[in-house]
Amino acid sequence: MNILRLAFLNFKNSFKNYLSLMLSLAFTILVFFNFLNLIYSDVFVELGQRNKNYIDMLLKVCLAVLLCFLFFFLWYATNVFLTRRKREIGIYVFMGMSNQKIGSLYLVEISFVGMTALVMGIGFGALFSGLFQMIMGAVSDLAVDVRFGISIKAIKMTSVSFMCMYLFFALKDFWNITRSSVLNMISAAKQNEYLHVKPIVLLLKAVLGAGVLILGYYYANKGGRYDTLTNAFWAVLLVIIGVYLLFGGLIPLVFQLLVSCKGFLYRGQRCLWVNQTIFRMRKNYRTYAMVCIMGICSVTALATGFAMRSRYENMVAFDTQYTFQFLSNQSDIGTTTETLIDGNDVTYQSALCALSPDSERLLATYMDVSQMHLLLSYSDIVRAAQAADVTFSFEEPADDEVYYLSHLVLLSFIGNGEAEPVEIAGKTYRQTERIMIPYLGYLQKELGCLYVVSDKEYERLQAQSGVYYICNYKLADDTVFWEVRAAFDAIVSNTDENYTARVSIDPFSNEGEWIKALHSLCIFMFLVFIVASGCIMFMKLYNDSFEETQRYAVLRKLGFSTRTLSASIAHELVTAYLLPFAVMTVSAYFSVLALGKMMRADLFGIYVVSTVVVSAVFAAFCGLSIVAYQRTLLSARDRR
Amino acid sequence: MNDKKVVEIKNLIKRYGARDFQTTALKGIDLTIYKGDFIAIMGPSGSGKTTLLNILSTIDKPTQGMVMLDGQDVTRISNKALAKLRKDKIGFIFQDYNLLDTMTLQDNIALPLALDGAAPKDILARIKELAAAFGLEAQLRQYPYQLSGGQKQRGAVCRALITNPEIIFADEPTGALDSKAGKDLLQCLCKVNESGQATILMVTHDPHCASYAKDVYLLSDGTIKCRINRGNDRKEFYNRIIDLQTSIGGDFA
Repeated sequence: MNILRLAFLNFKNSFKNYLSLMLSLAFTILVFFNFLNLIYSDVFVELGQRNKNYIDMLLKVCLAVLLCFLFFFLWYATNVFLTRRKREIGIYVFMGMSNQKIGSLYLVEISFVGMTALVMGIGFGALFSGLFQMIMGAVSDLAVDVRFGISIKAIKMTSVSFMCMYLFFALKDFWNITRSSVLNMISAAKQNEYLHVKPIVLLLKAVLGAGVLILGYYYANKGGRYDTLTNAFWAVLLVIIGVYLLFGGLIPLVFQLLVSCKGFLYRGQRCLWVNQTIFRMRKNYRTYAMVCIMGICSVTALATGFAMRSRYENMVAFDTQYTFQFLSNQSDIGTTTETLIDGNDVTYQSALCALSPDSERLLATYMDVSQMHLLLSYSDIVRAAQAADVTFSFEEPADDEVYYLSHLVLLSFIGNGEAEPVEIAGKTYRQTERIMIPYLGYLQKELGCLYVVSDKEYERLQAQSGVYYICNYKLADDTVFWEVRAAFDAIVSNTDENYTARVSIDPFSNEGEWIKALHSLCIFMFLVFIVASGCIMFMKLYNDSFEETQRYAVLRKLGFSTRTLSASIAHELVTAYLLPFAVMTVSAYFSVLALGKMMRADLFGIYVVSTVVVSAVFAAFCGLSIVAYQRTLLSARDRR
Repeated sequence: MNDKKVVEIKNLIKRYGARDFQTTALKGIDLTIYKGDFIAIMGPSGSGKTTLLNILSTIDKPTQGMVMLDGQDVTRISNKALAKLRKDKIGFIFQDYNLLDTMTLQDNIALPLALDGAAPKDILARIKELAAAFGLEAQLRQYPYQLSGGQKQRGAVCRALITNPEIIFADEPTGALDSKAGKDLLQCLCKVNESGQATILMVTHDPHCASYAKDVYLLSDGTIKCRINRGNDRKEFYNRIIDLQTSIGGDFA
């Protein structure tokens, strides 16, 4: 029998055993293929060049992340496959086969697995590509037409990327087999016995892991204005190292302590599942750590998606708070604009004055009003808020305080830091609030320094300041925007005598569409991470169940009922999922906190929702694993 | 001898295969085991020893006949009740120990009682008592891979005894041990049997091993050919077993 035929027979006979591996690989290929299919479709062209540029950039970043993910997933999957096969193909040594021949057999066999997964992945990918694009469209709410197209380029790119990486790992495994000793191959199954680690090593790892993790959380939460990116980098690095050390040290140590406490251990099935968990933990801590890190990524990606969506909606609300706004040094601007707007329904409007203590100097220097300090009185801003029906919940500032009227940003790598005092007309004021509610709509974005002062302070400064007049209008009918805007063109002026600026945003502009795409990409990355981490856990536990067959056969022979063993399995597997989930929940809190700092928003609610979603997906995978595990070990024919 | 019947077998028949190609492994066995008995079943290969043990230990079902275990007919009760019977009334000793490599010897011994819901305090006390009886106090915190074959098998005996079963089924208990470890183990089994702690049914092909039992049943071709009693002299008993083996013939390996 030649190698090819033997490998095919092995593959055929073990098809069921390899199904979990092939499905996991196929899923990864499906995701990668659909992503490339999306890139190569012209679905984003309709959003305009500016949006397309942003989206292209985002897609490239995601593609890089996906390629890394594919690489590590293949590494992991082929390693699992090798460990299982090594034991079985080691037997061929006794048939007189050389290591090279066994390696070749493995290479052919793993090629069958890879090719089947590739065909399945692309096949299912092509089948679901329309559905995938529809889901993406629905999730992002993008104004694009979804077309059911399959890109040949995407198929080629997926196949080439997958095959290159897969071949690399297959050759690595081939090299591994050719260099393995006979003993190593045939005793692969008995290596369980040598996994006991000294408690002092565990203790050192535990202390180091906890320290590193806490330091990572500290960096994620650290303030400061200009080092947000550096902090984020350290946080990510330290959390990854900390999680690995935690699973390699602290968690086994805690379980070791539980095992030594017999009063706890000898209660019900604990004796069985706690010992099993500690055994698995020692053996699989890298898998748990990897799943935990991917879980953190998935919560963060989902939270980013939700936050982007919410930020996009808030930014649109910010921009469209008023249809037209005017800033002028002409006292009759209100009357002029009202005359011009006549005949169009106005939903709400407001007019107020702003002081410019240093207007002359700045206008002479920069000719740019956006550089000025503009001061508003507390009463005026409350009135404007009431007119627009926006809640105003701030108390009047003290005489040495100002409120800064800011605007929403998508992300900022400059932290909030401590608000610096402001010097206005020779007096220093403390910034006690940074208000990001659109009381003055888009004007807050256009003007760099818009401050609210107390009425008393406003009156005091009035004498020594220039006065600007602000008028805001919200039209009832957005369709007349361009018509009205044309009428206002006549009053826009930029001279020292007459400075009149008009601020308006096209209500039908799609400039922010790329943020929606960012939102859907975040959701997509979330799906990739969560399903991948679930698949890895499922695959690992499913493989483990085959190693447990003998142990459970003994337990059944000893007379332990199926119910007892099922309960023990359920406890063990729930713990296996719960541990990475618990570490993930704590770590993701800090990653979302760091994200909130960059977005200058409180994302706790979003963190809770994201964690709940991830926990639901984890619970589903946990349930599946329990069923598969129990079916393998306690199948009906063996229950007697 | 106690008069309480632990096991009672009547007209036990076991056939394998389809109707036209049937092989009869057991051809109408009658056997009664009383509390405090130490019985060895011997016989050449294919005589039906393992089939008999599998049926007695409720792992297999007979084709015909009655098997009463502690007053219950195991051929007529549900799988759930059978599992309970195995757990509560039977202790097993296997040739290859079957200790779980994921836990220490102490946890292995404790497992049946812990799963049964006994109080941790009682479990610890029972382990202490058994470990002292079998000389395993120093090995309790060790994992199976750190123990010798003899220590593992004695640990397995402790695990079998911890629930105070009605009967212990031992399948070639010394099969994987060297002669010294085998002798130690058999002496331990005799000790627990004589102290009234265990009724033992042992399947073996080794006459030396069988000579530690109180009675030896010789099984051949699916039927019990004869029963011999030890009496007071174990060496003389051993010689009688050898003679009987020679007269029956067959492969006793």
